Amino acid sequence: MTHSLVIWLKSTPISQAMTMSPLIWPICEMLHFVGLALLIGGAGLIDLRLMGVFKSVPLSAVMQVRKWAALGIVINVVTGSLFFIGAPDQYIDNPAWYGKLAFLFVAMLNVAVFETTQGKRMLTIAAGENTPPSFKVAGAVSMASWFLVLYFGRMLPFIGNAF
Amino acid sequence: MTALLTALEASSFSTWVRESPSIWAYPTILTLHTVGLGVLVGASWMVDLRLLGFAPAIPTTVLARAFPTMWAGFWLNAFTGVLLFVGDPMKATTSVFLWKLGLVAVGVILMVVLKRRLAGGDIERAGAGGGLKSIAIASLVLWVAAIATGRWMAYT
Repeated sequence: MTHSLVIWLKSTPISQAMTMSPLIWPICEMLHFVGLALLIGGAGLIDLRLMGVFKSVPLSAVMQVRKWAALGIVINVVTGSLFFIGAPDQYIDNPAWYGKLAFLFVAMLNVAVFETTQGKRMLTIAAGENTPPSFKVAGAVSMASWFLVLYFGRMLPFIGNAF
Repeated sequence: MTALLTALEASSFSTWVRESPSIWAYPTILTLHTVGLGVLVGASWMVDLRLLGFAPAIPTTVLARAFPTMWAGFWLNAFTGVLLFVGDPMKATTSVFLWKLGLVAVGVILMVVLKRRLAGGDIERAGAGGGLKSIAIASLVLWVAAIATGRWMAYT
């Protein structure tokens, strides 16, 4: 089943454009790293405030950079999907790729659970106010999982065989 | 110059960075270089975007506190960058490498200029003046270009 998915994906025009063009893959890599920096900058700032750093800034104010983190995620999901469609065989059996997907899932689940259960309370954290322990845990989980997504992404060519 | 680079390339440390099968050699150095990139550029962009008027609820008076994080990312990348260079000294003969170094240098100069302006307290909570906005735009664009040239080195 896995095998037929790889064969089918490689037969698609998108996949062929990704591997035949000398420019599309490198440009997607550049965008993927731009997305990475936006995500670390945006999510990192929010995570630090959740953990109790920059207390002089209300949490609701820090949350205004959320859209930049979200933009980084969108850019990287799009370019990441293009890499997968372009060369599925170098990811499908690659342990680092599954590590990356697993921590991406943890990061997204953490955001979803936190926003659902603490979304309203979050906006009440004023300037100078410390965050409750559950906020600190959510911030630490988020930061750790994003850096692990980066780690496993960077390790794709070394733990596995991706280029 | 080339003789010096060739001698460096033949050194045992250069060979270790380049050829060691250890996960702690090239893979870890490259990963840390990516972490440093994310921290330096990510923090810089948040400051730049705030100066351009985004996230207006964040007081500009706290922006100066982002700079130690940016410097941490910079020094991590200066260190890992030197190691990556030692592993492949012939990079120095390519124009893309020199472009990248130049772009990073200008990016860091803008960072220092911004820090001085912010520490000088010459902006109000309401927003940034025209000069600061120009620096913020230049900083945003320079880091995109630095990332692009850095990535391009993998294909030359």
